[in-house]
Parts: sequence; structure tokens; C-alpha cells
Amino acid sequence: MSQVQARFFTENKKYLIDDVPFSIPAASEVADLSGVINKLLEAKNDGHKHVEFDFLVRGQFLRTSLASHMEKENISTEEVVEIEYVEKFTAPQPEECIMHDDWISSVEADSEWILTGSYDKTARIWSMEGKAVMTVAGHTDVVKDVAWVKRNGLSSLLLTASLDQTIMLWEWNSERNKVEARHCCRGHAGSVDTVAVDPTRTKFCSGSWDKMLKIWSAVPTVEEDEIEEPNRPRKKQKTEQMGLTRTPLMTFSGHNEAVSSVLWVDAEELCSASWDHTIRLWDAETGEQKSTLTGSKVFNSISYSPLCRRLASGSTDRHVRLWDPRSKDGSLVLLSLTSHNGWVTAVRWSPSHEHQLVSGSLDNVVKLWDTRSCKAPLYDLAAHEDKILCVDWTENGLILSGGADNKLYTYRYSTCVSDAGA
Amino acid sequence: VSDSNFSLLVFITFSVRSQDIRNTVGNIPMEWYKDYPHIGYDLEGKKIFKPIRNKDELDEFLDKMENPDYWRTVQDKMTGADIRLSDEQVDLVHRLQQGKFGDVNFNEYEPAIDFFSNEVMIHPVTNRPQDKRSFIPSLIEKEKVGKLVHAIKMGWIKPRRPKETTPQYYDLWAKEDPNSILGRHKMHVPAPKMKLPGHEESYNPPPEYLLSEEERLAWEQQDPEYRKLSFLPQKFACLRAVPAYSRFIHERFERCLDLYLCPRQRKMRVNVNPEDLIPKLPKPKDLQPFPTTQSLVYRGHSSLVRSISVSPSGQWLVSGSDDCTVRFWEVSTARCLKTVEVGGAVKGVAWNPNPSICLVAVSYDDTVVLLNPGLGDRLVCTATDQLISSYEEPEEVMDQSVQWAVAEGEGHEQGHRLILKHPKTVRQVTWHGKGDYLACVMPDNGSSLQVVIHQVSKRRTQNPFRKNKGLVQCVSFHPIRPYFFVATQRYVRVYNLIKQELTKKLMANCKWISSMAIHPGGDNVICGSYDCRLAWFDLDLSTKPYKVLRHHKKALRSVAYHRHYPLFASGSDDGSVIVCHGMVYNDLLQNPLIVPVKVLKGHTITHDLGVLDVTFHPTQPWVFSSGADGTVRLFT
Repeated sequence: MSQVQARFFTENKKYLIDDVPFSIPAASEVADLSGVINKLLEAKNDGHKHVEFDFLVRGQFLRTSLASHMEKENISTEEVVEIEYVEKFTAPQPEECIMHDDWISSVEADSEWILTGSYDKTARIWSMEGKAVMTVAGHTDVVKDVAWVKRNGLSSLLLTASLDQTIMLWEWNSERNKVEARHCCRGHAGSVDTVAVDPTRTKFCSGSWDKMLKIWSAVPTVEEDEIEEPNRPRKKQKTEQMGLTRTPLMTFSGHNEAVSSVLWVDAEELCSASWDHTIRLWDAETGEQKSTLTGSKVFNSISYSPLCRRLASGSTDRHVRLWDPRSKDGSLVLLSLTSHNGWVTAVRWSPSHEHQLVSGSLDNVVKLWDTRSCKAPLYDLAAHEDKILCVDWTENGLILSGGADNKLYTYRYSTCVSDAGA
Repeated sequence: VSDSNFSLLVFITFSVRSQDIRNTVGNIPMEWYKDYPHIGYDLEGKKIFKPIRNKDELDEFLDKMENPDYWRTVQDKMTGADIRLSDEQVDLVHRLQQGKFGDVNFNEYEPAIDFFSNEVMIHPVTNRPQDKRSFIPSLIEKEKVGKLVHAIKMGWIKPRRPKETTPQYYDLWAKEDPNSILGRHKMHVPAPKMKLPGHEESYNPPPEYLLSEEERLAWEQQDPEYRKLSFLPQKFACLRAVPAYSRFIHERFERCLDLYLCPRQRKMRVNVNPEDLIPKLPKPKDLQPFPTTQSLVYRGHSSLVRSISVSPSGQWLVSGSDDCTVRFWEVSTARCLKTVEVGGAVKGVAWNPNPSICLVAVSYDDTVVLLNPGLGDRLVCTATDQLISSYEEPEEVMDQSVQWAVAEGEGHEQGHRLILKHPKTVRQVTWHGKGDYLACVMPDNGSSLQVVIHQVSKRRTQNPFRKNKGLVQCVSFHPIRPYFFVATQRYVRVYNLIKQELTKKLMANCKWISSMAIHPGGDNVICGSYDCRLAWFDLDLSTKPYKVLRHHKKALRSVAYHRHYPLFASGSDDGSVIVCHGMVYNDLLQNPLIVPVKVLKGHTITHDLGVLDVTFHPTQPWVFSSGADGTVRLFT
């Protein structure tokens, strides 16, 4: 078998070629095919510039020669092979390296600002250029997770969860550059490891080492929630600077071990991952447990993509696993992405691309994955010198990762317009 | 018969009538008339006289010779007269003598008429009606049958012979003796054959078979055993010139020896695959989960880490090192959250197993410090502090060998809460499961004060043992029952704390016990020793080890059980941690299943020391090990 009949197609109007089958050598690889397409495009329109393409055969990226790929995927070589080509994803370009004083436990960026939580008990706000804007200090212990709530013109609301068993709701005015603690959410009996704000931006959920999930209101008020504490006068003084005490709206119990990660699937549905080897889905209104996905290892992190409706989980082994949260019996792994050498501590789906996700691991490498090529990641981002504890991916194409080497790396990742449209 | 009598009677009457003499005496014995001249009386009543018998023997003889009818003359006893038998009478006598009927005309073989045939005729032989008794059951028969039935019931007789159900075949080989000729023929080994003579044995061999001079010399020099040929090929001009073979007798004898000594039977060797002798153990793959890879390294200590302990929640890890510090780590990230300096090389650390108390016992030199690390739930931490500060001095102060002091000042800031000064160096600290009692080991060969048990809530110290039974290596509380395990160099003694007596003495069969761990179920104990052995005791089974594992190459330093999973681990000076599957069944009949599943390597060997302590995560199948290289490692 030396020649294969192939028909090339693409979704991208810019790179359309004639819909005729070609006979191409079976041993040709991605670069050869890319050359073929470029030749065809040059012949078609003169002003064509050389573009690197990537090829998909039946939804799987071509990584080896065409012949071996087809043999592995069990594709008949007798028929005409349909090969889709997309513009090759360019490698993420490193942008900034933001130094912290201590380990970075969490990161969340929106379109303008980067919020990081650190082991030096503070959260920090950075501009996209890596300039330190604000230090949010108030916790008495390590900040484990941070989250933006919403932006109202110049004032923003943000959340920090800490090992000191509290979550604090801060209001930050970017013009005056002042941060004010609005509420201190008390109620957990263990370190609060994760917070997630719901899509309506009025509530948030927290997961803690004490095995509980709690839902709190994210709307700042001027009144303090009623709490029954015998030694209240002593606390009063403390709460002046810590913000008004807030109590949870709801508490979900059901996990047998610490909750490590929580997220909102939509406005009514919550998803939490735990050290008890389960991912549980909850009804946020009633607090009922809807279904359970059971794994075999401790879950460190989960992420949900509304584009492909898949959950990605990172656990205390080397694999990133994809789950379907709607499956009822729920212990079926759709796909395992295996390339890391240590625990996967953080996973995050691309907000704009349904096939792409990043994962950070204890082996100091951030990997950028495409689910269509599950054997090998698209790119390894090996900038960190120590454990990676958090990753994030913003809507404007910025990948962020922070870890135990006190550095926050940002990468610019330009997803192709064509692909984003597809 | 009646016919013959009849004919005889006829004959007699006939004969008498012819003489016309009739004796009337009747049928009497005639000798009654022997002495009389007459013989009887005739019809007229006259005497019948005996005939004159004057014939002597000679006359008789002459008569016999001359009278042709002498042989047919008979004397009539009734009359005494001689009667000559007629021809008919003689013929009749002859017939009777032959056993025939007297009557010549009688046919004794007339055809028989079957009167009582089976044919039912219109006129039966007898027309009698059937008897009544033929209609009623016979009483005699009933009695007989009853007796038989009784005998059958009692089993005295069997109604019918029991059938032999098994088919009987003739077993052709049943009687065969395995040593008989037949048996031997099956395993026949043919007698060794003699080598046929070759050219060199010929009296006139081809010249190439003849030895040259050097070869001959070499042959003569050679030991007869090693000679290729046992003779020298020789050439003779003709067969007549061949002399007698001098070695003939010798060779015949050797041939006989060969035949005599040759094996006559094949030896049957049992082919045993050595792998079949290894007991079947489940594959480690089927025994998951167990730790397989190194995941995290907790770096920070500058000297060997002697002891580690995990908080009951599994969130924190405490390690004590020879660099005089105690470090608290976050398990999931290997972050050192707190470092507490103490005044000496830390020998032992132990986290209080009670989740509602946040205390860590740290031993260094002769001091045990109870630390409140301030990690975990704030409420628990403050409650612990309150518990310690709320202690009230009892009225009567007891004389104790250990001084209790409350930490103040800088020590209190660091987390020190209580300081216990012991008279000797404390090597090990261990908590009771409830978290109130704390046992300390002070190894000392000469004193009875080797083990002390502290009660933290009452700040009291007891010395449970009055006698020194040997150098105490480590102690442990039973997880459920009030037992106390004390490991000396060679024995583990189990004491009942309530009855205050020795319950059991376990013989470890090793030279020097280094460490000990109690199964959470409480019925199994593992002991590590400095002579590379790990002994598993089943307390219900025996005081000797149920199993001894010799997997480590160097001395064992530490052993540990997992609280939930059927796992135990041992750390050794060879730098490896060996994790074994140790399933204990609730069923008392089933022995524990012990399968080594993984050798975990990671620690570098420093000063000939490898792993110093191992401990399991309380909830996950993870094992921590601390080493002489100053690191703590987590294997998952």
C-alpha cells in the first residue's frame, strides 16, 4: 500500500479547496500533508501565505504517518479517506512571569485582572501586564482559593477562601484602589479548599475539609447575619475589620471525605469532587444529591465545559479523566488523558474551545490537551520549577498557572478564529 | 399277585384230588406229627399213615441214578407221599422262578386306559361336589405362613437372595504381581550388548589400525582405565598363528559383571516442577488499592527524620528530626506550615488519635512536650487549650517520678502546652486510642522504670511494671481492649491493664525487636526486627509467629498497619519500604492472607540508615516514610 485516496475538507471558508479526491502517499506525515494543502491553496489564490495545518482523520488528530494511523484506527485503505484540516494551533506564547512571596494556591483571571491566592495568607490582584495592583490581606491563614464574583463598573466583588475556615467577600474599587472586607463567611469546621460562584453571580458555594458544601449569598449587605455565639462581644471587635459575619444559606452533606473542588454546572446544579473518590452532583435549590460518579482515586480538581458538556477531573494519579455528568449510573470514564508523571492538581477546560483543556501536575508541567488526541498533549508548558497547584484559562485566551515555585506564568494562546467559530 | 396265588391253589387241589388223600389237620406245622406213625387224618377220620420209608442212602442214590424222574419228584408234606411233577407243573415252576406270570396267556403289557386324564368329559370320573375345606383357608397353612412372616420381619430369614447388583467382570490383571515376570517385561531393559569386534580386533587388521611404535609406547604408559583400546592390535600371517587370547577369562568375567550389575528396571523419577511447590498467592494487581509510586516529597529537615505521625483527619503530618525541630506539613501539597524548635534531637512524635483533641506528643532527650499545633478546626484547638488550662491541682500532691510543667512564654507561643521531665531519655511516645493516656519508653537495662503511662487530663504518671524483664524496645496500646503490648529484645508481652497481669508472651524468634504495630482489629501483631525479619503474630493462633517475612536486606526500623485497608508496611535500613497486603478475616477459621505487593524505593541511604519510620494515611491507601536523608515521602 503506497497510495491512499483522500479527500480534504475544512470548515474554514478561508482555506477551502476543491472537493476532489487526491491520491497521496500513505507514508506521508502531517508536514507533507500540510505542504500539499498549501500548494493547492497557492495554485488557487495567489496571495496565499504559508499556513501550518493539522489533520483530523475521523475526529482523531494525525500524529504519526497516515498509514500507521489508519492501521491503528482500523480504517480501510480501500475507500476514500475523509481528512479534515484545520489551521495548526500555535504554541502558547509565554507572556509574563509574576513573582509572588510564597506558593500560589489558586488563580482566577477575568478579562482585565488576575486574582491569585497565596500561602502568605493574602490574595493579590494583578494587571494583565503583571503589575501588582492590590494585596488583599485579612486572613489569618493560607488562602486556598479565590474567585471573582462580579464587576460593577469600577468596583468588583471577590472571594477568598482560607485555611482559617472562613471565606471573605471583598469589594475592590479599582479606581481608588481600595479593598474592603464586606463579609466574613463563617460556618465551616475545616479549611475551606474551594469556592465557586454560580452563573447568576448572586450565590456561591464552598467546599471544605470538614466534608461539607455550603451555599452562601454573594450579595453584599449592610446587616450582619444573626449568629448565636455565647462570647459575642469579644468577636465583635474582630469583625470590625474582618467584615460582617455571614452564615450559610444551605449546607450539603454527603461526602465522606474532604471536598477538594466544587463548581456550578448551571444555575441549578452543583458538582463537587472529594477525597472519598466520588464526584457528586447536587440540586442547588433543594440540596438533593442527584448522582454520583465514582472513581478509584482521590479527586484533586474538576472542571466543566458547557461547550462539550463534559467534566474533566484531575486525581492523585497520572491521568486526566473525562466524565459525562448526565450519565446516571456514573462510574464510566469517557476518556483518560495520560501523560503526566505526578498527581494532576488542576484541570481547566478552555472557555472557547470544546476540545481543549489544560492540566497542571506535581511533575512541574502544564499540559495543553486536545481531546481528539488523547495519547499525547498538544503542548507541554514546562516553565515551572516546582509543583503546580493551580491553572486557569480566560475567555480572551490567556492560560495561567501557579505553583510552589512562587511564580505565576501567563501564556497567550491564540485559538484560531476558524476553530473558535467551529 | 392274586392271580398267581389263585393258580397255585388250583394246582394244589388238583394234585390232592388225583391221589384222593386229603389230610384234615389244617395248616399246622407238620413236625408236630414227627414222632407219630401217622401224619394226620383223612375225610373219614382215619389215620393217614406215613408211607414206609425204608430206603437207605444207598437206595436213594441208586434211585437218583436210575430214576429219570427223580428230579421232578417232590414229597408232599401233608401226606408224605412222593409226587412226580407233570410237565405243565415243571413249566409253571420254571416261569415262577423266572419272575413271569404263571398263566401263559396273561398279557402284562396291555395298553393303559387313562381314566384320570385332563380331558373333562361329560361324565366325570367322580361327580362329587368339591369339599367345603377347599373353600376355607387352611389353619395349618395360616400358622405356617404366620411363622414365616414373623421370621422375615425379624430378619431371621431372607425372603429371597439379595441380588448382586454390580456386574462382575473378569479382571484379567487382578492377580498379577507387579514383581512377576509380566510386570518386569513391561519395564524391560535389554541387557547391555557387547560391542561388535572391529577391524582392530582382526588377526590381520589393515595397516592403519596397527599402532606405531610411539603409539604403542603411549598405550603402555597409559593407565589401563583410560586406554582407548584394551588390547594391542596385532597382525598375524595366518589364522593358525594366532595364539590363545590371554585376557579371555578376564573379559568373560567382566561381561558377566556387566550383565549382573546392569539395571533390570527403569527408575521412575518423579518430575516435580519447582514452581508448583510455591503456594498460590493472589496477584498484587487484584489486591489494589495499595501505594505504588512516590508522589510527594516533604523537604525541609536538615537531618534524619526519626519519627512521623499523621493527624486523625489525614490533613496534616508531623515529623520530628535530629535537627531539633518538629515540622507540620500539609499532606496534599507537601507544604511545611509550621516549624517548632525543641531543645534536642526529636526521637518520637505522636499525634493524638482523638479527633476532638488537637495535641501532638514530642519526645526529645528526657522530655516529652505536648504541642498544640493550632492546625485543623479552630474550635478543637481552642477546646484543647481550655482543657489544659482548666486543670486544677489536686489537694494531695503525689510524689511522681515525672515532673509536669505548663509551658509559658515563648514556648507557649510556639505551641508548647505541657512539658514532662523524665528521669531518663525517652525513646518512644504513643497514645492510647482514646487520647487521654500516653505511654513513654525509656530503655534502661538496669532499672524497673522503663515504661511510664501518663494520664494527661489528670496529669498523673504511673509506672506499671515493678520488675525489669529486659530492655524495652517499644510499647503499644491495644486499639480496643485494655491490653498493653511491651516489646523487649526478644519477646512481646501482652498485659491486661485492668487485671494487672501478664496475658501472653509472644516469642518473636528474632534477635532484637525494633518495632511493633497492632492490627486495628487487635488480634494480630507485626514485629520488625534488626535481623531483617518481620514476624506476624496471630494472637488467637499461637505465641509463635504465624508468618515470618524476610524481604528486607537490612534491619527493619519501623512497621505500620493501615487503619482501614488490609495493608501493612515496613521500612528498613536498605532504603526501601515494603508494602504487604495483610487481610485478616472475621472468620476465625481462616488464617490471615499475607501477600507482599510493592517495594517502594526513594530514600537515599545516609550514614547506613535508610527508612526510619513508616506510617499510613488514616483514610487513603497512602504510606508515608521518613528517612535518614532528611525527607519524608508520600507513596500513593
